[in-house]
This record gives sequence, C-alpha cells and structure tokens, in this order.
Amino acid sequence: MKFYSQSFLYDDPWSIVSLAYLLRYPNPYANHILSCDVISREVTPEGSLRTTRLILKKGSLPRWAPAGMIQRAESWVLEESEVDPLGKNMRCTTKNLDHVKVMRVEEHIHIRQAEDGKTLQTTEAMFLSGFGWGLTKKIENYGLAKFKANLQRSREGFFVILDLIRQSRMQPMTMGAPSSFLSHRSIAGPDAKPPAHHEVPAKGDSREDGASSPAPARRGYWARWKTWLGSG
Amino acid sequence: MSQSLSEECTPLKRKYDACFNAWFEGYLEPAVSASVTPEQRTKFSQEKAAEFEKACGKIWQEYRECVQKAVKDKGLESLLSQARQSHPLKEAPPASHDPPRS
Repeated sequence: MKFYSQSFLYDDPWSIVSLAYLLRYPNPYANHILSCDVISREVTPEGSLRTTRLILKKGSLPRWAPAGMIQRAESWVLEESEVDPLGKNMRCTTKNLDHVKVMRVEEHIHIRQAEDGKTLQTTEAMFLSGFGWGLTKKIENYGLAKFKANLQRSREGFFVILDLIRQSRMQPMTMGAPSSFLSHRSIAGPDAKPPAHHEVPAKGDSREDGASSPAPARRGYWARWKTWLGSG
Repeated sequence: MSQSLSEECTPLKRKYDACFNAWFEGYLEPAVSASVTPEQRTKFSQEKAAEFEKACGKIWQEYRECVQKAVKDKGLESLLSQARQSHPLKEAPPASHDPPRS
C-alpha cells in the first residue's frame, strides 16, 4: 500500500474554496472526465449536504501492463461528499469502482476554515493493489507517480474555477443563474488583493514537487469558460 | 464536457446543475454562524431543504429518474452497491494471486 498526503492553504474564504471544489468539473484541464452525475443528494437533519456523484474518467495504461490486465482504459469513480456550512467543514472521498483488483485508489479531501479567513485543504490518497504476479508494488508505485504527476494539472483546473467564482463575486453575476439565494455575500472590491496560496508541507509528506503555482493574471476567464462550456 | 453518463440525460443535468449551483452558493454562506444549537441546525436544515425543493425539486426529480434508468441500463447497479459496502482503508483485501484475465 502506498500513501500520499499534502496540505494547501488558500487565502480565500471557506465558502468560495468549497464551492469551487464541488464545481470543479468541467474545466479546461479535465478532458479526462467523460461524465459526471449526481446520483443522490440530501440535506441531513443536521443541515449538512450529502452528495454522491458518479464520474467516468478516461485513463491510460503503463507500457509494461500485461495484455488484458484491464478490459478498457476507462474507470467509474464514486465521489461522496459532505458539506457543513455551519461548521465550515467539507469532506470528500473518491474511489474507483472498477479495476479494483488491479488497484484501488482512494482519495480523501478535507477543506476547513483556518485562521484569518483562510482555508486549509488536506489531501490524502491511498493506492492498494491486489494484483499479485510480482506486479503489486510496481502497480502501486505507478498509481502514486501518476497521481503526483496529475496533481499540478488538476490544481490548475481548480484555480480556473476558483478565479471564475472570485470574478463573479466582483460582478453582479453568479454562476449562470439568478443570485436570489444569496441573502448576503462578501463582495470583494476592485482593490481586492490578488489571490495568493501557499503550500504547507504535511507530515509524512512524500512529495518532491515544491513549486507553488504561480498566480498569473486571469482576466477574461469568465468569458472564455462560457464559450468553452457552450461548445462542449 | 459537462456530460451525463447518458446523452439523453445531459440537457436535464445542465438545467439541474444551473439550478443547484445557484442554491448552493447561498447555502454555503448561511446567515447563522458557527456556534449554533442543535435546534438551529434542524431549522436551518428544514429551511434549506424547502428552499431547494421549491426552486429545483422538479428538475431534480426528472434528472434523477433519467440517471437512475441509465445506471440500470448500463448495468452499473451492482458496481455501485459493492462500492458502498467496501471500505478498503479499514479492511484490506487479502493479496490475490489469481492469474490475470486474458
């Protein structure tokens, strides 16, 4: 079994990071997401929102994979999340449903409010193969390496969505729908600070990628995203 | 992109997503704050559920029926029920030495 863990601190408030997380698909960096459906959703008696989504991902196989190791390079993924807006806490678990004998991948995300209105995200992932044939370790290492390699890309995609939300908060416009539900909201003024984010090394951290993502000017994403959604 | 697993559900999914997203933005920023009593939580839950039902209940029902049918048609039901029972972190499956299927 292999583990991965990482923490990330956002300057944005919890509600915006959580919104971006749940709305992260589609984004221009997630072409491997073929479909995403809500299969159950409820508000619990405690006021949390519990959601189960079924996601189809396109995958690829390593060159050394034996013929017939898996039938098709697509994988169904189940995402279970619980959002507690009163406690400003969100948890999300994703796991693959098929090819589980080759490898199980389980990812746990925890997004919670930190000090000074910042938001802390911790990511933990587990890779477990029961394949045997002397390949178990190789498969698990491959899973971990692939996960780390894709992390930057998924983060870029996440930041596209995060920026769209920041911008929509500065304009009298929400995510393509009337804002009648938003009773009050914190409007960031035109002089709002540019976004910043910091990586926090986690205990038992196995990452080598120390580079924090740059925050380039992202003007015009809203328009581009809409165009891109329309053509999709 | 932004597709449903079944093409015929995609228009319903887009309508539903738009409705849900608008509701969800408000839901994430409740007027009540962190130190709430269990009673306040119950009240919040009921209000939010009612609000959602009023705005998105109809489209949610249509979309959900469409997806449930698609899940059945694609034979994904057993995959889903298996997944909901298994917790690999708690009970690691025994190492398997079965030959790979070819």
